[in-house]
Amino acid sequence: MTLTRPVVVGAGVDRVDGPLKVAGAAAYSSDITLPGMVHVALVRSTIAAGRITRLDTGAAEQLPGVLAVLSHHNAPRLAAGPTNNLGPTPPPPLQDDRIRHHGQYLAAVVAEKPYQAAAAARAVTVEYERTEPVLRIEDPAGELRTDPFGMDATRGDAAGALAAAEVVHEATYVTAENTNNPLGLFATVAQWSGGRLTVHDATQWTSNTCQTLAQMFEVPESAVRVYAKYVGGAFGSGLRVWPHVVLAVLAARTVGRPVKLVLSRPEMFTGIGHRPNTVQQLRIGAARDGGFVAIEHEALQTVAMDDENLEPVAASSASAYACPNVATRDRQRRLNIPCPGSMRAPGEAQANFALESAIDELSYLLDMDPLDLRLRNYAQVQPQFGLPWSSKALRECYQVGAERFGWSRRDRRIGAMRDGRWLVGYGMAGVSYLWWQVHCEARATIGSDGTGYVRSAATDIGTGTYTVMRQLSAELLGLELDQVRFDLGDSNLPWSPQAGGSGLTGALGNAVHAACRELIRTFLRTVVNDSASPLRGCTIDDVAVSGGRIHHRADGKLGESFVAILARHGLDELTADGVSDPPDPQEVGMAPAGAFAAKFVEVHVDPDLGLLRVPRIVSVVDGGRILNEKLARSQIIGATVGGVGQAILEETVTDPRTGRIANANLGDYLVAVNADIGEIDVTFVGEPDQLTPLGTKGVGEVGLPGTAAAVANAVYHATGKRIRSLPITIDDLLG
Amino acid sequence: MRAFEYVRADDIGAAVALVSGDPAAQYLAGGTTQVDLMLKDGILEPERVVDITRLPLRGITADDRTLRVGALTTMEELAADPTVAERLPFARTALLAGASTQLRNMATIGGNLLQRTRCRYFRDPGVPDCNKRTPSSGCAAITGAGARMHAILGAGETCIALHASDLCVPLVALDTVVRVRGTDGERRIPLTEFYLLPGDRPDLETVLRHGDLVTAIEIPLPPAAIRSGYLKVRDRASYEFALVSVAAALTVEDGTITEARLGLGGVGTIPWRARAAEQVLTGAPATVETYRAAAEAELRAPFTVPGTAFKPELARRTIVRALEELGGDRT
Ligand SMILES: Cc1cc2nc3c(=O)[nH]c(=O)nc-3n(C[C@H](O)[C@H](O)[C@H](O)COP(=O)(O)OP(=O)(O)OC[C@H]3O[C@@H](n4cnc5c(N)ncnc54)[C@H](O)[C@@H]3O)c2cc1C
Ligand code: SF4
Repeated sequence: MTLTRPVVVGAGVDRVDGPLKVAGAAAYSSDITLPGMVHVALVRSTIAAGRITRLDTGAAEQLPGVLAVLSHHNAPRLAAGPTNNLGPTPPPPLQDDRIRHHGQYLAAVVAEKPYQAAAAARAVTVEYERTEPVLRIEDPAGELRTDPFGMDATRGDAAGALAAAEVVHEATYVTAENTNNPLGLFATVAQWSGGRLTVHDATQWTSNTCQTLAQMFEVPESAVRVYAKYVGGAFGSGLRVWPHVVLAVLAARTVGRPVKLVLSRPEMFTGIGHRPNTVQQLRIGAARDGGFVAIEHEALQTVAMDDENLEPVAASSASAYACPNVATRDRQRRLNIPCPGSMRAPGEAQANFALESAIDELSYLLDMDPLDLRLRNYAQVQPQFGLPWSSKALRECYQVGAERFGWSRRDRRIGAMRDGRWLVGYGMAGVSYLWWQVHCEARATIGSDGTGYVRSAATDIGTGTYTVMRQLSAELLGLELDQVRFDLGDSNLPWSPQAGGSGLTGALGNAVHAACRELIRTFLRTVVNDSASPLRGCTIDDVAVSGGRIHHRADGKLGESFVAILARHGLDELTADGVSDPPDPQEVGMAPAGAFAAKFVEVHVDPDLGLLRVPRIVSVVDGGRILNEKLARSQIIGATVGGVGQAILEETVTDPRTGRIANANLGDYLVAVNADIGEIDVTFVGEPDQLTPLGTKGVGEVGLPGTAAAVANAVYHATGKRIRSLPITIDDLLG
Repeated sequence: MRAFEYVRADDIGAAVALVSGDPAAQYLAGGTTQVDLMLKDGILEPERVVDITRLPLRGITADDRTLRVGALTTMEELAADPTVAERLPFARTALLAGASTQLRNMATIGGNLLQRTRCRYFRDPGVPDCNKRTPSSGCAAITGAGARMHAILGAGETCIALHASDLCVPLVALDTVVRVRGTDGERRIPLTEFYLLPGDRPDLETVLRHGDLVTAIEIPLPPAAIRSGYLKVRDRASYEFALVSVAAALTVEDGTITEARLGLGGVGTIPWRARAAEQVLTGAPATVETYRAAAEAELRAPFTVPGTAFKPELARRTIVRALEELGGDRT
């Protein structure tokens, strides 16, 4: 069967869920309404560290409509959630009187109506014994965790090579805390009936939410069903089972009715993770000719009390360039802050700013074009493993990007390019994204009417998984797009990993591939001794599929339809399962490659007023096989916009005294708006990756990193000001 | 949020009587400030809300000297008015640089004048120290880290909350008059005397008495020869309040500034009339040097906190740029 290199996929098919979303007919978890449903509102801590000395719910309980007020006084002890490949579950809520951060949930009010719950939540009074919170990343009072991910890398002798290097650049780079701000407010609807739990949630990972809730509430996983049919964005914030999800489930059990809990925007800033801020030291040593001799990258980031967050920052610098001596160190400072978590391109977003800024700085010390310097140190093989990459077209990214952008028109002198009052700067950055793939399962069915039904517990957080997987299934089963249904967002479906780490399309695509192939095999087995079948005795390698039929590869006429096979054998349907597992690099003799990208950015700076505009960004991406060019392009555009936000706007501000987030709303926390975004040019280059049958590499995150560094590098080119701290704002550029 | 009674007023006198007689009643116009503060932030807790949107206070009339704008005219309507486009282009620019189209279609001119500060500490009932909300409780903005959007003029140790209106900046420069209806009849209050500096009572924001209804504003139309402009500087290119904004109107004759009107936004606890700068400008040559001296004069004694430390310099430069764009440089 010739399925290993599908060709119909790749077409710019429109989102299959698009019409539903435009019409408002796609039910997000906040849209789910169940008979008898009641509502939860939350009470949050207004201090960052200490103890609750008194929590009085008496007044709240008397208010109209109030059914229950849960707090550490009456909430049951919950079992800890599981630890998965992203780390442990965040600490369960309402377990004791300790305050770990401002905004921590202290009580949950359940009432008939949402406004009654909100009013009662405000009537809960809390008194505290306040202790001094640890809030600043530099504060030595906060526990310092070294090598928290076990990913610190050493190669050669970086310190020795730096001491001997002809040219050394050394600097500290700072990135601000950023908050995932999906448009959709996170919401959980929970219902218990007869010991069985049903949850509708804004999660990126139904299988994990199911497993976690089962473990915390000590019921079998088979008694828990988690739906996430549509998710209004997440950008990583839906990867963990946050305390509000647990509270909704607890509230439903307490009052014996279905409950809905919708976070407010301010609650989104303290309850669903955020990109931790970092302080990073970079040391790069080079020979006069530009060849790197050493890279040292140390990154300090924040982490919350009683929590862990998998966010390797410095680690990615070990494999970005060919360099004999490398040392990367990650550290975390434990603070009284809300739990950090993944936010689109976790770790990479911060690390890339430091590394790619440092390389730009080095290019000036060496008097080299920054693009030439990157090419000079191109990692032809994976430098840490010494193995060839499973695919790498970063050189092509640079070349195509430079051409599309017009890099050769760049006047290398600082401040030499102008547009009226505006100084013009060109900057660029490279991106080598880490590879991430995990186990995934899928199931495929063809029914007696000849239509296909393929499914997995995976989620589509707005990225297009429904669409791409339907395309892929149609291709693999030889059906038309409208003859296949792809279902997801239900933990009862075969196990799927998170929609995260740019890993889902690869993992799920290969599981779907395996399931569809297995289904064809199942059909072939059904007719293996069937004298009436032209496919009798065929193996999968002998056949191809198209037009709802299996037929001989060599002779399209020699075959029969799925419908005919099922009918003749009296079957309603045939079903098969498929799994995909990440390959072992040593076994395949290749270093698994993530996506690569080059970013070229033009900035305009008004030096008097400090205004910074980004009229033009060229992105060239090696994402392996692109299953749907239109959706992949949207991913790169969206991520680039997020990168602009990180570069020039987004900063979650925490008050140094109280630990309160001062700008926890969309009026004060600035995300890029349309007027901030100029032309975004996206091109894909490269070949299918060799590691998996499908040859995809994830493109969900690679569009973000590189943007901030390229902006900062362009700002330097325009103004001569080297800004080593994000975001770059008016006050940085004044004067 | 607390339960409240909603009343729709259909008579001006009745509306005024209703609110004046009830300390727990408040007016509701477009609701873009009021509803946020009541329902989302929980800062305002009226027991009765009097919807004034059906009152006959919507519409614009002009004669050759004055533009009269009913208090319930929306921001979009005012921006679309031909007299505004022709005679008050900087007011139009200021309107369109504010909020978003959706908001401007709801927001009224009366509400714009009376919009409440965006101070992040004021708007969070979880923050105990806010002198404006709870007199004598302190000021969290001064000690906090989030005071980027705060005022540096008219500000002091008690309160640094910004009056964030864009529209009021050109209005205050033009000597706009506010018409107010109280229980004792109608008054005319110059906009420059309408707002109160925080002083030791940051909770008192205007000279209005409880229940006073703004019925209209009267904008004196400037001479046709005057050139005006509104320059708004902010982090985001759109949909954000000003870090600094300047509304300027200049008449230059033979290289000399004969009339200067200057309002500042983003920097004042009230819409800021830059009289010190106007004084420097009037009668002086239209040169960058004059503009710098004017900016310097206005920003002689700003009150800053770490978050606003960059603002005086940004304000000076924005003033200079705005004036230069209008008056050129005759050096
Ligand atoms: C997201 C957002 C962004 C914004 N951006 C900007 C911006 O960039 N620039 C800008 O200038 N503004 C901006 N605004 C503020 C907006 O312009 C004001 O909210 C609006 O003008 C208020 O008008 P309203 O009719 O909605 O007033 P309401 O919200 O109904 O009322 C505001 C206050 O005035 C009182 N009131 C209203 N009318 C009268 C009256 N006739 N007499 C007496 N009292 C009255 C009310 O009781 C209330 O206290 C923004 C607002 C929002 C929500
Ligand atoms: S600046 Fe004024 S409004 Fe803001 S917290 Fe201080 S006192 Fe309150």
